[in-house]
Amino acid sequence: MSSITYLESQKDEYRILDQWLKAREYVYVGKDVKRIDALDKVTGRARYVEDFLVEGLTYARIVKSDIPHGVIEWIRPGRAVEHPDFIALVTCEDIPGLNQVGYYIPDQPALAEKKVRFHGEPVALIVSSKPDSLEELRNLVEVEIKPLKAVYDPLEALKDKVLVHEEHGSNIVLRTKVKKGDVSKALENTDYVVENVYKTGYQEHAYLEPEGALAIPMDGGMTIILPAQYPHLAQSIIARVLGYPQSKIRIIQPVIGGGFGGKDDMGPIIGAQAAIAAYKVRRPVLLVYTREDSFTSHCKRDPAYIRYKSGANRDGKLTFVDVEIIFDAGAYANRGPFTLWRATAHATGPYEVPNVDVRGILVYTNKVYQGSFRGFGNPQVQFAAERQMDELADKIGIDPLEFRLKNILRIGSRISTDQVLEDSVGVGEALVRVAEKCGWFEKRKKYGKIVDGKARGIGLACAWHGISTSRGVPDWCNAYINVSKDGSVSIYTGIVEIGQGTHTGLIQIAAEALGIPVEKINLIGGTTDAPDTGATHGSRGLSFGGVAILLAASKIREKVQKVASRIFECKPEDVEIRDGWVFEKIKPEKRISWEEAVKRCYAEGEELSATGYFFMPKGKFDEEKGQGFAYIVFSYMVSAVEVEVDLETGLTRILKVWPAICAGKIVNPKLAVTQIHGATVQGIGYTLMEEVVIEDGKIVNTNYTDYLIPTISDIPEIDEPIFVEDYFKFGPMGAKGLAEMALIPIPAAITNAIKHAVGVKPSEIPYTPEKLYRDLLRRMRE
Amino acid sequence: MIPEIEYHRFSRLEDALRFLSENPDSKIIAGGTDLLVQLRARKINVKKLVDIYNIGELRYISEDSGEVKIGALTTIEELKNSKIVEKYVQPLHIASRSFATWQVRNIATIGGNLCNASPAADTAPPLIVAGARLRLKSIRRERIVPIEEFFRGPGQTILNPDEVLVEVNIPKHSGQWFFNFMKLGRRVSHILSIVNVAVAVKLDGGRIEDVKIALGSVAPTPIRAKSVEEYLKNREATLENIEKSSLEVVKDIKPISDVRASAEYRIEMSKVMVKRCLREALKL
Ligand SMILES: Cc1cc2nc3c(=O)[nH]c(=O)nc-3n(C[C@H](O)[C@H](O)[C@H](O)COP(=O)(O)OP(=O)(O)OC[C@H]3O[C@@H](n4cnc5c(N)ncnc54)[C@H](O)[C@@H]3O)c2cc1C
Repeated sequence: MSSITYLESQKDEYRILDQWLKAREYVYVGKDVKRIDALDKVTGRARYVEDFLVEGLTYARIVKSDIPHGVIEWIRPGRAVEHPDFIALVTCEDIPGLNQVGYYIPDQPALAEKKVRFHGEPVALIVSSKPDSLEELRNLVEVEIKPLKAVYDPLEALKDKVLVHEEHGSNIVLRTKVKKGDVSKALENTDYVVENVYKTGYQEHAYLEPEGALAIPMDGGMTIILPAQYPHLAQSIIARVLGYPQSKIRIIQPVIGGGFGGKDDMGPIIGAQAAIAAYKVRRPVLLVYTREDSFTSHCKRDPAYIRYKSGANRDGKLTFVDVEIIFDAGAYANRGPFTLWRATAHATGPYEVPNVDVRGILVYTNKVYQGSFRGFGNPQVQFAAERQMDELADKIGIDPLEFRLKNILRIGSRISTDQVLEDSVGVGEALVRVAEKCGWFEKRKKYGKIVDGKARGIGLACAWHGISTSRGVPDWCNAYINVSKDGSVSIYTGIVEIGQGTHTGLIQIAAEALGIPVEKINLIGGTTDAPDTGATHGSRGLSFGGVAILLAASKIREKVQKVASRIFECKPEDVEIRDGWVFEKIKPEKRISWEEAVKRCYAEGEELSATGYFFMPKGKFDEEKGQGFAYIVFSYMVSAVEVEVDLETGLTRILKVWPAICAGKIVNPKLAVTQIHGATVQGIGYTLMEEVVIEDGKIVNTNYTDYLIPTISDIPEIDEPIFVEDYFKFGPMGAKGLAEMALIPIPAAITNAIKHAVGVKPSEIPYTPEKLYRDLLRRMRE
Repeated sequence: MIPEIEYHRFSRLEDALRFLSENPDSKIIAGGTDLLVQLRARKINVKKLVDIYNIGELRYISEDSGEVKIGALTTIEELKNSKIVEKYVQPLHIASRSFATWQVRNIATIGGNLCNASPAADTAPPLIVAGARLRLKSIRRERIVPIEEFFRGPGQTILNPDEVLVEVNIPKHSGQWFFNFMKLGRRVSHILSIVNVAVAVKLDGGRIEDVKIALGSVAPTPIRAKSVEEYLKNREATLENIEKSSLEVVKDIKPISDVRASAEYRIEMSKVMVKRCLREALKL
């Protein structure tokens, strides 16, 4: 059991959120407001990090290890010093503060020190006066590394024969656990049991814009123009590395060409590297990773190895789930402790399972390290869980949809950690509606037959995804709003625009709360000039960022209401503000303009600025028992996929996808659709083609010729999404997280459809044409 | 990113040829869609670039009674839009349609595709089955070679450093010929072939009188599938014969394993693609 701690000090905030939740009818929220950055982006006026030209700019590039594991003998500039453009070679010895950029476990240097642990690890930075000579200069740098034995396979790494971090004593970074009931007892009394091993590979973020940072020494500190996803995290890590107080580090977000989680991790790291170089050369430094550098040296989705055993009875009820999850952290733990915990908690899938035993192991290897990526540890385990559901359904002999419906989470259900779901659980409805829309039962009957060497299939999968930080890990948001004398409004938020459109949604929420048109509002986001808002990850940007803005704006609204109530001689709560007009609800014709009301506030001593701090209520999780509070709420997703498999080549064509999402209130349907499209496509790539090929520790396909992502011709029709608006009480107008969701069920939905089409049992992604072809051959032989 | 290079641009063939003869250490650039990628990845080392892209006299598609002539600087998009190519060099036309993307097709040249000598070059198998001959020119001489003698290995041709490929000649075929081209990649479009196949079949009633089959990506150069051809010659054009003949392709190919596919998969897919390409050509 778990109980949630509510804060006495936040009672007002709970009340405000509740009021907006109950309003249900909105002027701006729920509408397709046009993106504020659309015009700048399509006209090429948007300024990315490389577009900022500052006085005295110098250029840097990382110098990388070409050895996967070894001891650094020396690093020398060599003949680079003779080059006219050479400015400096920067190594770990130039770091004024701590050489430490580890996220949770302090195991990662900004620039390698003593040892290298993966092929492509940055060991130094070369600084040049011209960007064109960077490549030549970095090839002149002399790096001598004495190779050590390396370990690449996580199962091999578990044996600890080669240690990636000697000081840690083992390659096992940590273990996680979720436990409920008694799995071994349940096993004895279970009619049907299925056991399988599932494997998933690395996934590269493949953003259009690789990592970059522009560090400018100024005002006695350092200003960094930085594509990151959490400016205050970057600030604290860069401060640590430079040995500065945090307040001396200022982070500003440029327009960002995609994040997907990658820049959450890389922002602080590349920011720190650029800052170290700028500190040494005392000039602004622009550090950009080339596409190849991005492939070799930036974090990726963690590969997973999952042993999954589960059972159900004749009546179609799940009896137990028994899972071992091994996550390959690569050379550094980075976010691994959290992706693994998320995988552990979500391993059952969105189902009621009375007996649960999930054990996670995070293990170091000499490969590029893991990182945040849309879905954050969850896509791996939902692939296993949802493939397993189809295998179990098969064994029992019932329809996979019916099997899911018998076990699906509902309000009042107890999840894997034994937490009770109190509200906002729309997944059952989503399942039913998707099945209806895609013609489920008919196609399940009709498909699966070979016609002219091809076969069609339809499959579906669910996903659930805890919103906000897990367990008792604190999570808060904040924003600062100021109303100028002319009535225009400035919002400061740490939430970063990474292409997802969140800033537009945030402005809609402010417009709603203030009752003024969106055009009057200017949003300054992604900067440490705003209060610490937490990260733009975990699908929290619009929901949590929005809560803070809703609270701050509501506080200002209440001030305006108070002043106006004196004019109208009514109670403050009877004052309405709408579309830039302030009036008494029952006498709308007697109105004053928003500008007039603002003038009054300035004249009468009412402060028109406010912050909107909110601390998300949390519970407790008992790590020993593996039980307790997991997440404050979950978003849910269901996707059905129709495929056609070419049996002679193993090529899978996706014909159509039917998505349904339960993300509470949809603030901007058009933005929601774009996120669902993007995530679905990224899921298709992850499932069928994206493969990081590593030979002797070296990534060999560091380009888009050989690291394949879907092109527009691989994209199927994606049906108009079904929105099940299962309101969440601590979201702005009931909104939950959305942006990651549509990726998570895709791997299982596609592979379940492939199974339906041709009968193979995909257990590994990417499920490339060649793998499918081999499985087909094997099946034919059997 | 790209190292410093001496760059020379010519708009007359003769000037380019003269420069090449005096500067054997230079490299030709046409559309640059292969060359620039290789330079950036430092796969090749070049001191001088000779840009021939502006030599208008090498960009044309023409025909006379016996031949189609394509200037080496003709772009893939021009091939795709050409009525002459569509009518007389069908497999090349089909290949041009699935070639790269519109942006790349607009600049990539047929000459560059051939001279780059990638085993996967999509214009090579069509031109092989069409019996194309290549006109190579230097300041001193000119020679015409059958396309099959042109390729030497991955990235290697019989071109001398001072030679330019100026024209591709394709004989017009008379009689009842059927052509086709097919490409298998790991995604729908914009992809390097795992295997590509072109076929040319001449029927005499229901009997196969003549046949040429060429494949790419399954040997160091684009190659003829002579064993398949042998099997088919003088046999009836039936589905069964085609299926049996396609198995013979293993004798003709020498695929390798790489990041794109394993050798085993390439072998299996060669059979499938030969079969499909023939089937579709003959509408069986
Ligand atoms: C995104 C992308 C997609 C692609 N997709 C495909 C595809 O689907 N199929 C395919 O086959 N290829 C593809 N390619 C490869 C490339 O576009 C083609 O090979 C193209 O035809 C090369 O022509 P070019 O004019 O750009 O050659 P360049 O790059 O200019 O030259 C290539 C080589 O040929 C030499 N050369 C060029 N012209 C002559 C000449 N007249 N005489 C002597 N030597 C010469 C150059 O010195 C160089 O070595 C793709 C490339 C890219 C970047």
